[in-house]
Amino acid sequence: MKTSSFPLIHNRKAMVGALIVAFILLVAIAAPLLTTYDPSARVGRPHQAPSLDHWLGTTRIGQDVFARLIYGARTSLAVGFGAGLLITAVGTALGIIAGYRGGKVDEVISFFTNMVLVVPNLPLLLVLAAFIGQASPWVIALILGGTSWAWGARVTRAETLSVKQKDYVKSAEMMGEPRWRIMTFEIFPNLISIVGINFIGSVIFAIITQATLEFLGLGDPKVVSWGTMLYGAQKASALSVGAWWDILTPCFALAFLGIGLSLLNFAVDEIANPRLRTGNRLGRWSALIRSGEGRL
Amino acid sequence: MAFLLRRLCFYLAAFVAAATINFFLPRLMPGDPVQIMFSSAGAELPPESLQALKLTFGFVDGPLWQQYLTYLGSIFSGDLGRSIKYFPLPVTTVLGNALVWTAGLMGTATLVSFALGTFLGILAAWRRGSLFDVIVSVGAIFATSVPAVVTSLIVVFTFGFTLGWFPTGYAADPALDPAFSLTYFGSVIYHGLLPMLTLCAVLTGGFAVTMRNNMINLLGEDYIVMARAKGLSDTRVMLWYAARNALLPTVSSLAIAIGTVLGGSLVTEVVFNYPGLGNILYQAILARDYPVIQGQLLIMTATMLVANFVVDISYVLLDPRLKRA
Repeated sequence: MKTSSFPLIHNRKAMVGALIVAFILLVAIAAPLLTTYDPSARVGRPHQAPSLDHWLGTTRIGQDVFARLIYGARTSLAVGFGAGLLITAVGTALGIIAGYRGGKVDEVISFFTNMVLVVPNLPLLLVLAAFIGQASPWVIALILGGTSWAWGARVTRAETLSVKQKDYVKSAEMMGEPRWRIMTFEIFPNLISIVGINFIGSVIFAIITQATLEFLGLGDPKVVSWGTMLYGAQKASALSVGAWWDILTPCFALAFLGIGLSLLNFAVDEIANPRLRTGNRLGRWSALIRSGEGRL
Repeated sequence: MAFLLRRLCFYLAAFVAAATINFFLPRLMPGDPVQIMFSSAGAELPPESLQALKLTFGFVDGPLWQQYLTYLGSIFSGDLGRSIKYFPLPVTTVLGNALVWTAGLMGTATLVSFALGTFLGILAAWRRGSLFDVIVSVGAIFATSVPAVVTSLIVVFTFGFTLGWFPTGYAADPALDPAFSLTYFGSVIYHGLLPMLTLCAVLTGGFAVTMRNNMINLLGEDYIVMARAKGLSDTRVMLWYAARNALLPTVSSLAIAIGTVLGGSLVTEVVFNYPGLGNILYQAILARDYPVIQGQLLIMTATMLVANFVVDISYVLLDPRLKRA
C-alpha cells in the first residue's frame, strides 16, 4: 500500500470536503472584492428577483442578498471555528483528566458529563439566549462552548483509558514525570485523531446551532450572518410572497458548508485511525455529529 | 432493579439541575431579577397575580437558599407559574396542550425513521460495498450534515408553496371543530404529514448508519459463520442471527437521538407553523414570556428523561446480562 506524508491529498472525500470549505473561506475573506454593496444598507427596491444588478436579488428591506451571503459567511465561519475550538478544548481537557486521574476526579467529571448529556441541548441554549437577549455571535459562541463539550469529554475519556495502559505511559510514570506532563505530552498527542474529529464535528454543530438560534430570533438582527438572513427572510414571509431567493440562499449555503465539513471529518477519521476503516468509522463519526444535536 | 433505581436517582438529579439553571439565570443577569423575569408583563398584570408569580419563582423575602427551596417546591408541586402572553393560562396548560401535538409528531417520526433507518442499515451491511450500500451511506452523510431548519424550509417551499400539495400551517383545518370524526382525523394527518416526513428525512440517516456499523461488526462473528454453515437461508441469518443482536446498541443510540428529535421538532414546528411546543416557544421568545421559556426547559428535560428511562427499561428487557447486575 502506498504511503504518503500527505494522506489527506490522496483521499477523494477529503479533497472535495477541503475544497468546499476552502472555497467558502476564500469567498468570506475576499468579500469586499466580490461586491460593492454594503450588506446592511438598503441598496435596491424590496424583494427584487435576481438580476445582473443584484445577483441573488434583494431582501424585504432592499438589501443585496449576495452581499449578505458572502459577508455573512465571515460570521458563520468565525463563530463555527471559535466555538468549535472552545468546545473541543473543554471536552478534551476534561476527558483526559477524568480518564487519566480516575477515582474521585473521574467520578465527579463523569457525573457532570452525563448530566449535561441528558439535559436537552437546544432547549437549554434557548433559555440561556433568551435571558441574554439579542446575543451577539461571540456570546453565542461562548454559551455553545459552555454547554456542548460533554460528548467530546466522554469520547476522549474512553480513549484515554486505553492509551494510559500503553507501555510508554507506564515508563514515563516510572521515570517520575509530573502528571500534567504525561497528560499533555504522552497522552494528548496520541488522541489527536479523536480530537480532530471532535473539533470538526463541533464546528458543524456550532454553525448549525448558531444559525438555528438566530433563526428563532435570539440573535442580534443587526449582525450579518446566515442565521440572521434566515430570520429576516422568515419574518418577511419570503416563502409565501414568492421571494425564494431570500430564503433559499442561506439554506443552500448552510447545506453546502455542512456537507463540506462532514466530508472532511469523515476523511480525517479514516486516515488518522486505520482501525476504524474496518467498519466502525461511520458509527463514531455519526455519533459525534449527533452528539450535541448536531442535527437541529 | 438496582440498575434502574440508580438511573432513576440520576434522572432526578438531572431534573433538579435543569431547575437550578432556571432559578439562577435571572438572578445572575445584571439588574433586578424580578424586573427581568416579568418585564413583558407591563401594567396589564393585576398586582395580586404578579405577587403570586413572584412566589412561584421563589422571589420571596429571605436568604437565597430559602428562595431556591420555594422555587423547587412550586416546581415539584406542578406549578410552573402563569404565561404572560397567554395570561391567565398557567404555563402547564399552555405547554401541555402543545405537548400533545409535539409528542404525536415526534413519536410517529421517531418510530418511522427508526424502522426505516434500521431496515436500510441491515440491507446496506448485508450487501456491504454494493451500489445500494454506497447510496445509503453517502445519502446518510448528506442528510445528517444539513441543518433541520434548512431541510424544513426547502421541503415547505417545494411541497407546500410551489407545488401546493400540502398545507403550510396549523395542525388541522382551522374551519373544523376538534371532534372524534373521520374528517377531523383526516385533516390532522394531512396537516401533520409534511412536518413528520421532514423529521424522518432528518433522522433516518443516523439510524441507518448506526445499524449498518453494528451489523458489519457482527457479521464476522463465529455464530454467523455457523448459521451459514448449517445451511440456513440468507434472510434467516440476516434477520434472526445478525440483525437481532445488532439491534441492541441501536436501542441505546435511540436514547441519545431523543434530544435530536426534540431539537429538530422545535425547528420544524416553527417552519411549518405547527402548534406544538416549538411554535409556542417561538412565540414566547418573541414576546419574552420567560415563565413559558423556563417551563419548556423543564418539560423538555422531563420528556427526555422519561424517554431515556423507557430506553433503560427496554435495555434491561433486551439484554439478559443487565437483569442479573
